Amino acid sequence: MDAQWAVVTAAFLASAVEFVEAFTIVLVVGVTINWRSALAGTGAAILALAALVGVFGTTLVRAVPYEALRFAVGILLLLFGLKWLKKAILRYGGLKAMHDEEAIYEEHMAEMRARGEHHQRRIEPFGIATAFKSVLLEGLEVAFIVITFGSAANSIGSAIWGALAACVLVVLVGALVRAPLQRVPENALKFVVGIMLASFGTFWGGEGLGISWWHDDVFLLVLVAFYLAVSGLLVLWLRPYGTSKLAGAGMIAADPSADEVVS
Amino acid sequence: MNAVVRALKATYNFFAGDAILLSMTVIAFVMGLLLVHVVSAPNALVAAIFLGCIVGGLALTLGRELRGRERQR
Repeated sequence: MDAQWAVVTAAFLASAVEFVEAFTIVLVVGVTINWRSALAGTGAAILALAALVGVFGTTLVRAVPYEALRFAVGILLLLFGLKWLKKAILRYGGLKAMHDEEAIYEEHMAEMRARGEHHQRRIEPFGIATAFKSVLLEGLEVAFIVITFGSAANSIGSAIWGALAACVLVVLVGALVRAPLQRVPENALKFVVGIMLASFGTFWGGEGLGISWWHDDVFLLVLVAFYLAVSGLLVLWLRPYGTSKLAGAGMIAADPSADEVVS
Repeated sequence: MNAVVRALKATYNFFAGDAILLSMTVIAFVMGLLLVHVVSAPNALVAAIFLGCIVGGLALTLGRELRGRERQR
């Protein structure tokens, strides 16, 4: 009985870390792009995971080239993150006009209404891809945790319960923080998304390379602080050349990428 | 522009959209692989070079933006 509780607790704690990582990405995709894309990517990843677990069962640990997957997801997330971060730094450095979110939103909505579309219903490939990759990677990690912890103690069922409890807890906490997050200004949120994607991409890509990060998942926080500091320095570097000097010369016009999803 | 080129361009824009960021990220990963699997370099050194390449790419592309805008002035 004690051994079973030990498995439940270990699986709960280890899975909670992975669920938090996956949920963070789904949350930022949902808040910055739209929830339909975030949930579509998440749903597709869950289906893929279910298919993998259904086909391979406990041999999944040996069947999936996890290092290669982490490497590929790391590269893609890093590229996405750096793209967002570059635009955010240009905005905060004054080299690119800040989005006037309300005006852009109203204009966008009017155009969409004219075409008979609904903004919240539009599926964005970028949002789906980002949510899909994160949930698939972290979901696989949870599956590995359940299989390894459960097999070691000969109690897969206990490990599954531990992971399920962690999932429910993370989703509940996420649902609570969703509303306050949606009130954060769009520019600030996109800056944070760039930092998060770049940090996760660096972390997973580095692990895929074979780098053992100091204190494992805790190092993600160090990477977030690192990218924040670097971005702050880059903004300070650009600021003297920003709005004051270029605006007079008409260099900062309306943001040409305002209609882009990743802008 | 034919369909293949358009598809390639759309793929590039979707994943990177910036030649400097793409090149420096590829360099970071290639150097990391060489350092880990060929040279067996210390972990901290690989991490530092990996992060250095990524941040270097970001600084380079921002510098290019700055030069481009100043040239337009």
